Amino acid sequence: MAHELTVMMLTWEFPPRIIGGISPHVYNLSKSLAKNDVKVYVVTCDFPGAPQHEVVEGVEVFRIDSYKNPSPDFATWVYLMNINMQKEAAALVNSLDGKVDIFHAHDWLVANSGIGLKHVFRKPLLATIHSTEIGRRNGIHFDYERMIHETEAWLTYEAWKVICCSNYMVSHVKWAFWLPEDKMIMIPNGVNIQEYEKNQNVDLSLFRRRFALPEEKIVLFVGRLVYEKGIHVLINAVPKVLEKVNAKFVVVGNGYMKEPLSNLVKSIGLAHKVIFTGFVDDETLRNLQKCADVSVVPSLFEPFGIVAIEAMAAKTPVVVSDTGGLSEIVEHDVTGVKVYPNNPNSLAWGITKVLLDENYANRLKNNAYKKAQEKYNWDKISQQTKTIYETVLNEYSKSFWA
Amino acid sequence: MRVIIFSWEFPPRIVGELANYVRALAVQLVKNNVEPYVVTYHDYLTGPYEEPKGTKTYRVTNPVRTHIGVLTWVLTLNQEVERAAANIYYKSNKQIDLIDTHDWHFIPAAVTLKKALNLPFIYSVESLEEHRSHGANSPFNMAIKSIEWLGLYEAKKVIVKSEWMQDEVTRIYKVPIDKIKVIPPKSTTWMKEILETYKSVIGGSVSEWLTN
Repeated sequence: MAHELTVMMLTWEFPPRIIGGISPHVYNLSKSLAKNDVKVYVVTCDFPGAPQHEVVEGVEVFRIDSYKNPSPDFATWVYLMNINMQKEAAALVNSLDGKVDIFHAHDWLVANSGIGLKHVFRKPLLATIHSTEIGRRNGIHFDYERMIHETEAWLTYEAWKVICCSNYMVSHVKWAFWLPEDKMIMIPNGVNIQEYEKNQNVDLSLFRRRFALPEEKIVLFVGRLVYEKGIHVLINAVPKVLEKVNAKFVVVGNGYMKEPLSNLVKSIGLAHKVIFTGFVDDETLRNLQKCADVSVVPSLFEPFGIVAIEAMAAKTPVVVSDTGGLSEIVEHDVTGVKVYPNNPNSLAWGITKVLLDENYANRLKNNAYKKAQEKYNWDKISQQTKTIYETVLNEYSKSFWA
Repeated sequence: MRVIIFSWEFPPRIVGELANYVRALAVQLVKNNVEPYVVTYHDYLTGPYEEPKGTKTYRVTNPVRTHIGVLTWVLTLNQEVERAAANIYYKSNKQIDLIDTHDWHFIPAAVTLKKALNLPFIYSVESLEEHRSHGANSPFNMAIKSIEWLGLYEAKKVIVKSEWMQDEVTRIYKVPIDKIKVIPPKSTTWMKEILETYKSVIGGSVSEWLTN
């Protein structure tokens, strides 16, 4: 190659726009790739206050106008947003004299852009599938969901390789879209341990008091407040935990289940025990993760489960439902506690066990921290990703498109 | 001269006026030594490729079969239109002069191809959402209008079929009147004016445009 390996990431979220796990994933992957001599351009949706173009730790970030077209519903918004994303990305590649080697699309939200750019510039397309509609909805029930499902299938069909973040997700995506084994690649997600090691000596007890009384243990949930994240399972476990331990449940995140669940908490007289903080900034989130006595991930469907790894990096014991990527991250009784999915009794048992046995909790969090350091390391992950890019480019160089 | 024509209807798939108009256009272009490549939608009536009366016709089908409305259907079809157009472009050794896109459906594809490959495009207006929906302004209608606006904004030239439509395009979308060319299909100078407009876009030089 005459020039350095150049990749264009397409993602609907990139910090400071954070909706789910794709944003931190693309952010960390891109900046680690940049450190490993890959030129990365990120094309993403705009966010109030964020510049249209900036260089973030060696990564060129371009933000497009994502609300240019009025839209009747979310999926239509996605397709309309893709008109602009594709248009701006095309102009950018053109301005670089076509010197982009690979388009890397993250989820169906940018499928149209990725597929269009692939054909227009005749360059390979890679797709990372972070989640699926059939998984999120636990089946396909309506045309709206089927349309999204088929868009995901289309993206995996057009992609040169499909990357997933866990073995569970590889088999799930293979099954959902009838993909051949040799098209699938597993590269885990990672965590930035350094971020959790900053300000080690700062006393967090005052911060902690904003959320809980000194005698209350903190049970932390971080995630979108939607069905598949199992927040309702945790809320149902609250009274069972309180029978044994004095605890405060801190629920971080937003979603359509926030209002019904906070009403439910009020109606059973536990509003003083459950706090819904909504979305919080990174620093508050990390401090909460450090202060928590246990982090809970009660998902019903979880492709990877990055919050579990964040908790491990923050040295907080984790209780997770034994499903999806979480099953691979956590080894029961070694790096965390696994409980039955969608089972409040089992979840309450796990939380109580960790909160009542300090030695056990310490052992779990020390083991988990080591695992996070060794396996879920972004530098290592970006090198694996770079190797995939090189393999794909080698195959591409022998194709009639090259 | 090589022109790629985008239309969501083309015989035997006839939805409205546009199908027969685009066929007549393609056939006349062949007679005038222009090579038209028609990219249109493929259904059970046709195969993916045919060449009626010398008009190379590429038909694409939607990779996403299930849809919640015409808008999502059109938007996912656009990437297939881009794929077909890119294939034509690369197979002809990048010797494509112009895209002529009819109505709003494939404007996203035309705009992407313009930005990516510097292919200029003409937006030929058959009808506008304002009239089709009788002034309705739901998000659905407004989305289609925003695509029409994008086409009018990004097109090198806009062709309309009547002076009334020129007034409407100017009134609704505030398009400068000198960007719009009125070419009535029934006019005896129809093909001559189409060719002149094509040439004006391809040639690009002001003096050539003024002498026409």
